[in-house]
Amino acid sequence: MNDKIQIVSIFPNLLGTYGDGGNLMALQHIAALHGIETTVTEVAPGESIPSDGDLYILGGGEDTAQVAAAQALREDGTLSAVAADGIAVLAICAGYQLLGHEFPDSDGKPAPGVGILDVKTDRLPARAVGELLVQPTAQIDGTPLLNEPLTGFENHAGATHVGPGSQPLAHIVPADVKIDFDPVLTLNWNATLDGQAAVGIGNGDGTEGATSNRTIGTYLHGPCLARNPELAELLLGWAAGRKLEPIREPEVEELRKVRLTAAANYDKTTQTQR
Amino acid sequence: MGVVVQAKGLNQTIRACSSSRVTHLSKLDGVSEKVPFRTRSAVAAGRLAAKTSQRLGKGEGMVVGGKVALRLSPKAMTDLAGDRVEVLVSSTNGKTSTTRLLATAVSQTGPVATQPTGANMNDGILWALANGPVGAPAILEVDEAYLPGVVSATHPKIIIFGNLSRDQLDRMNEVAILARKWRTMLAANPDITVVANADDPIVAYAAEDASNVVWVGAGQVWTSDSSVCPGCGALLARDGSIWHCTGCDRIRPKTTWELDWTAGDQGQSGTGFAIGPDGTRYSLEGLQLPGRFNASNATLALAACDQLDLDLNKAVELMNTVTAVSGRFATVKVGELTIRLLLAKNPAGWSELVDIMPPAPTPVIITINSNAADGRDPSWLWDVPFEHLRGRTVIATGDRRHDLAVRLRHAGVDFVVVEDPYAPNAQLPPGARELDVIDCAATYSAFHELRTRADRELASSRPGRDQREQGVV
Repeated sequence: MNDKIQIVSIFPNLLGTYGDGGNLMALQHIAALHGIETTVTEVAPGESIPSDGDLYILGGGEDTAQVAAAQALREDGTLSAVAADGIAVLAICAGYQLLGHEFPDSDGKPAPGVGILDVKTDRLPARAVGELLVQPTAQIDGTPLLNEPLTGFENHAGATHVGPGSQPLAHIVPADVKIDFDPVLTLNWNATLDGQAAVGIGNGDGTEGATSNRTIGTYLHGPCLARNPELAELLLGWAAGRKLEPIREPEVEELRKVRLTAAANYDKTTQTQR
Repeated sequence: MGVVVQAKGLNQTIRACSSSRVTHLSKLDGVSEKVPFRTRSAVAAGRLAAKTSQRLGKGEGMVVGGKVALRLSPKAMTDLAGDRVEVLVSSTNGKTSTTRLLATAVSQTGPVATQPTGANMNDGILWALANGPVGAPAILEVDEAYLPGVVSATHPKIIIFGNLSRDQLDRMNEVAILARKWRTMLAANPDITVVANADDPIVAYAAEDASNVVWVGAGQVWTSDSSVCPGCGALLARDGSIWHCTGCDRIRPKTTWELDWTAGDQGQSGTGFAIGPDGTRYSLEGLQLPGRFNASNATLALAACDQLDLDLNKAVELMNTVTAVSGRFATVKVGELTIRLLLAKNPAGWSELVDIMPPAPTPVIITINSNAADGRDPSWLWDVPFEHLRGRTVIATGDRRHDLAVRLRHAGVDFVVVEDPYAPNAQLPPGARELDVIDCAATYSAFHELRTRADRELASSRPGRDQREQGVV
C-alpha cells in the first residue's frame, strides 16, 4: 500500500494538445477522493525522466513534437525500464503511437518508437475524427481489466496494429447499440461487428487502444480519465498498490450518460446526432 | 440583422453593406457593370434565395445567398473581387473585431465593402463582395482554413495574421499544419504584404519567408500552442516577450509596430499605446472595445492603415467609434436576464476574457455547444484556466453543459447546471437575478443563438416595426 504517489507527466509542453492536461487534473482529483496524496513531476525535454514515479502519463501532440518526444525517450531509457518493471503508464493518441515500435512522421515515413507496447502505426486512409465508444475487452489472467464502456473523442490519422506482445484495450461498439442505464450502466451488445456501422475508428480494425503489463495506450481524448473514472481508478490502484472501490460523482455519471447516448446515436456519415 | 443596443458608434459606410438594404434593390443593381453576366445573374439568384431565407425567418440569408451564387458561377468570387480587395484578416482570435476596426478606419477614404457579421467562409465573403458598395475597397475577414483559397481568388494587397492557436481541432487539424499551408500560399503570392504578429511564433513561422512583412509586436498571452518551434521541432525559450528557438536560429523578428500595454487592476481596464515606426505613440485609451486583445487588434489594424497611406490619427479616431462588433461585448436582453455577450470559443480567447469579467463573487453564465462551428470536441475546456473563476457560482448551460460541469468540479468552482437560465422559473444562484447585467461567455453557435433570441424578443416587443429597419450589426 502506498497512499502517497508520484505522478510523472512526460513532456507536457510537447505532448499536451487536445486538453490532455485534463488527465492529470482528473488523476489528482480522483486520487484525492480515495484519500491518495499525489505529487506531480512535470518533465521537460532535456531533463531526465525520474525512475521513482508510480504512474507515468503522456498526452497527444503534433507530428514534429511526437518525433522529438520519441527520440528523447529512447535516449533516456527510463520509461522503458519502469514499464518493464510493471509501473503504470498511460499514453494518449500521439503518446500511444510513440510507445509502439514505429509511427509515421510528418512526411508519412516510419519513425522509431520506444517499443514499450507491441504495436506499429501507419496511416489510415482518412483522418479519424469523432465520438468514440468502446467496450473494454482486455483481460489479465482471465479477469477483465475494465468493465464499463469507455467514451471519448478521437482525432488522429493512425492505423495501429496490435502484435501478440500486447492486447487491444477494447473493441469499437457498433452504432445503434442499446444502452441500459438502470440500475447500472451497461451496453446491451452482442459482439458482432461485421457489416455494422461503428461508433469510431480507434485502431482501424475494430479494436481500440492496446495494453501489456501495466501500460495502456488509447486514442480516447475527452479527456479520457475525466470521462472514464474506472480507468483512472485502475491506474491509481496500480500506483497505490491496492484495488480502489469505485467512487462515482453525480456530474460525471450524468456526463457519461449523455455522451454514451449521443455516441450510440451518432451518425458517422453526417457527423451529427440522430 | 443583429440588433444591438449599443449600435450608435457604427458608421453609415458599414451599414450600407448589410444585405437587408440591398434586398430592396432591383435584381442586378449593386454589382459593377464590369462583372461578367454569369456572375451578375448568379448574384441575383442568390439575392432571391437570401430574401426567401429571411422571409422564412431562417437567418440573415448571407450564407444561403453566397452559396447559391457560388453554385451558379464558380468564379464569382474572383469576378466580384476584381482588384479592389485591400486587406484580408485571418487569425484564430480577433479577426472579426480587427476587421471591423480596420474597415471603420479605412472608411475615412469613402465607402468600404466588408462583412456585416462574422460570416468568414466562402459564402459569407462572396456575399460581402456582392452586396457592398459598388467598386468600393474591400476589407474582409477570412476563416484560417479557407484563407489560401480566398487569397488565390481575390489577390489581396495586404493580409493580417494575428495569432494561431488551438481551435476547432476537429476541422482545423493542428496549428503547425495550418501555418505550413499559409507558407505555401505566401510563396505562391509574393506580391502580398503581410502584417504579422511577431509575438506569436506560429504566425512568425507562417510569414517569415514572405517578401514584404510588417512585423507588429501585438503581444501573446496564450503560449501553450507555441512551445515547440514549428520549423525544427525544438523547444522555444522565452525571455519576457522575446521568444527564440533552442534548436535553430529562429527568434522573434524585429518589429516596426509595437503595442505598449499596461494592465489595469482587477476588473479595471488597462491602457495601451500603438507605437509606430517613427516612434509616434497613438493612444488607444479611447477604444470602446475592452481588454488587451482589442488593443492588440487595433495595433494590427493601424499598421495596415499605415501601409494603405491613411491618416493614422483619423484612423484611431474612427476606431474609437466602434462599440459592439457583431454582438461581441453587446448588452442584450434575453428572457428574464440582461446579459453582456462575450464570445469565448477557445483557450487562448478565454485566458484573456477572464480578466475583463467583474471580480468574484459576481456570478457568470457560461454556454458551451459542440456544433460544427464550435468544434465537435470540447476537450479544450480542460485547457482553460477556469480555476480563476473560483469564489463565484457559474451558471453552466449549452449542449455540453455536463462537460463544463465536470471541468468546473475539477477546477474547484461552484456551479449550477441549468438548461435555460433565461426562463422565468430558472433556478439561478443568489444574486444573479439582481444584477443589472450579467456576463455571458458563449461558444460560437451558442453566441449566435443568443443574439438571434435577443433580436426576436426585441422585435416582438416592438410591434409595428420591421426588425430589419432597426439597428444594424
